[in-house]
Amino acid sequence: MTWVEFPYAAYTAIAFWACGGAVSLAGVRKPGLKVPGLLLMLAGSAVMVLFLILFWVGLDRPPLRTLGETRLWYAILIPLVGFLVEYRWKITWLKYYCVVLAALFLSINLMSPDLYDKSLMPALQSIWFIPHVVVYLVGYVLLAASSAAAWHTLLRSPRGGMGETGESVSHYLALLGFVFLSFGLVFGALWAKEAWGHYWTWDPKETWALISWLVYLGYMHANAMNIGRRSLQWYLGLAFLVLLVSWFGVNYLPSAQNSVHSYQSV
Amino acid sequence: MSYYEKNGGVAVWSFRESILFTAILLLSGLVLELLGGGNGVSLPSWPLNAIWLSGIVSGIVIAGIWGRQHWFIAWLGGIPLGLSLIFALAFLSFFGGVLPQEQGVGSEWVLRFRFNQVFSSWPFALVVLFFMINLGLSLVWKLVPFRRSNLQFILFHAGFWIALTCGLFGASDLQRVIIPLYEGEASSRGYHAGTKRTVDLPFSLHLNDFEMEEYAPQLGLYDPSRDRLEAESSNAVLQVDKGVKASWPELQVEVETYFPHALKDPQGKPVPSDTLAGTPYAFIRGTFKGKPFSGWVSTGSPHEEPVFIVLDRKLLVLIPGSAKKYRSEVMIRDERDNPRQVLLEVNRPVSINGWKLYQMGYDVEAGRWSKLSLVEGVRDPWLPAVYTGFFMILIGNVLFFWKGMKKTRVL
Repeated sequence: MTWVEFPYAAYTAIAFWACGGAVSLAGVRKPGLKVPGLLLMLAGSAVMVLFLILFWVGLDRPPLRTLGETRLWYAILIPLVGFLVEYRWKITWLKYYCVVLAALFLSINLMSPDLYDKSLMPALQSIWFIPHVVVYLVGYVLLAASSAAAWHTLLRSPRGGMGETGESVSHYLALLGFVFLSFGLVFGALWAKEAWGHYWTWDPKETWALISWLVYLGYMHANAMNIGRRSLQWYLGLAFLVLLVSWFGVNYLPSAQNSVHSYQSV
Repeated sequence: MSYYEKNGGVAVWSFRESILFTAILLLSGLVLELLGGGNGVSLPSWPLNAIWLSGIVSGIVIAGIWGRQHWFIAWLGGIPLGLSLIFALAFLSFFGGVLPQEQGVGSEWVLRFRFNQVFSSWPFALVVLFFMINLGLSLVWKLVPFRRSNLQFILFHAGFWIALTCGLFGASDLQRVIIPLYEGEASSRGYHAGTKRTVDLPFSLHLNDFEMEEYAPQLGLYDPSRDRLEAESSNAVLQVDKGVKASWPELQVEVETYFPHALKDPQGKPVPSDTLAGTPYAFIRGTFKGKPFSGWVSTGSPHEEPVFIVLDRKLLVLIPGSAKKYRSEVMIRDERDNPRQVLLEVNRPVSINGWKLYQMGYDVEAGRWSKLSLVEGVRDPWLPAVYTGFFMILIGNVLFFWKGMKKTRVL
């Protein structure tokens, strides 16, 4: 599979998610529809997983190099977080936000198609490549879901109250996400030492990874203080914007001209 | 001040004072930078940096143990100040993440306040110093008296403290040297990337061979008037091989023959040759605006002109493949003249006499015909300490993850 076949997979997945979401929402009134709704949504994710496997096989290298490729992983992992939260904590609403975000990232890929390029530069040929990138992707996905849960809580209960479950979900997902960010940061430093000679060079991507980490570190400490729970939800809702800069916004900043972290095909 | 709150029976300053203090810290840093002409802070090298660091550590430990009951010390090691300093670090890093961090790059006010090298500026140094004190004090309080339940806190915070402090204080002892090596020649000298100062090394390197593998060349349609490659219909980087097809508007092509390494015979026809001398050639057959055409294309090399096919105002070209692997076969001789044969490759550094050697680059113009290999030598005596910090963070992180999973009933 290549990017040529991608639109078929993406549209099919989005259609499954949309139908599954609609059926599942109808299940609020008719409980019998809940399971078919969930199955349809899972089918959407299954289509994307299958596409990713075949894409990987065709590409002869891990599809983790370009932004388009990371968006593909994102679109697969974020609904998974929604499904797991439902499975573990019986919270049903998060998955809708998750599939909307997944559909959004697939749409970005549909609108700006990536170049299909099998080459992998020597700096990326390392045992650190997969752990470093996957750990970061999982971290980003958890924090995106945390942000979605925070927005849900803020929008559904504008005056506070009623949002305790949502607050707990966004909080726990942020803690988990922070763990993965920390792993990603240290793995990145250890890899940088092997590939580029030093573990930290204040490359723009490194700096933004540090800023994101500090922002969530700030959340952990704000949470330990007596700061209003609602303010903390605002914090989590907005903190994700910093991650977005770190993920792809950094490429558009003046500092990025000389970044060693640019793996995008021209 | 009216913002006192009770914390373990001790009255302390609170968040508002912390924010004010951090703002004063940042402003003082900016003023110092302005007065100093934007020259920033440079820490002394060994052994002075170690002496300074020992002094700071002793101060933190003494203040932490004997000053614990004092409201000011309690505030200095508390979360409100810690949180303010975290935000200040993020704020300063924001400048570092947006503005290019290079010497002499930026507008006048950027240079004056050293926002172009913010991570060695006075505001950054002051914030980090108080961050070290804040984090250090909180650590002392978790360490004395020691409780097993504090282990995760200690590992994570101490790991971060050690990595940050040793990384910053050790920066002045870090040496990064570029060592240019030519095939068949030896060298025991390099130069600093920034200052270009020559450095004598405690070993010599003899480059036996530099070799490079490339990905297959790429077929492209070049538009000279716009100096760009036209996107192929499948939006793919087309690695050339026999039978590969490609299409652009009004143009369809197929690779009929592909020689990864070829030389021209006396009649000008490419024939396969040995790897070292040959250049990639491909015979293309296709149709342009409905008319058939065919011809050879070649990437060219330092010894041969490239060959392309002219299609109206555009050119069908063969673009050299990007680097797949490059490595240097090097004979290292240490101070006692002991020889050691090594292979330097990207992501596979080699250690010698406290130095680490990296395959850094080559003569890009010459590509795989390069006779020059750039090796980087790095000496970082503080690395073991920084790595100790990293591994403590990792273990602390695993414990945090495990505890979190248990607490949230995921496991």
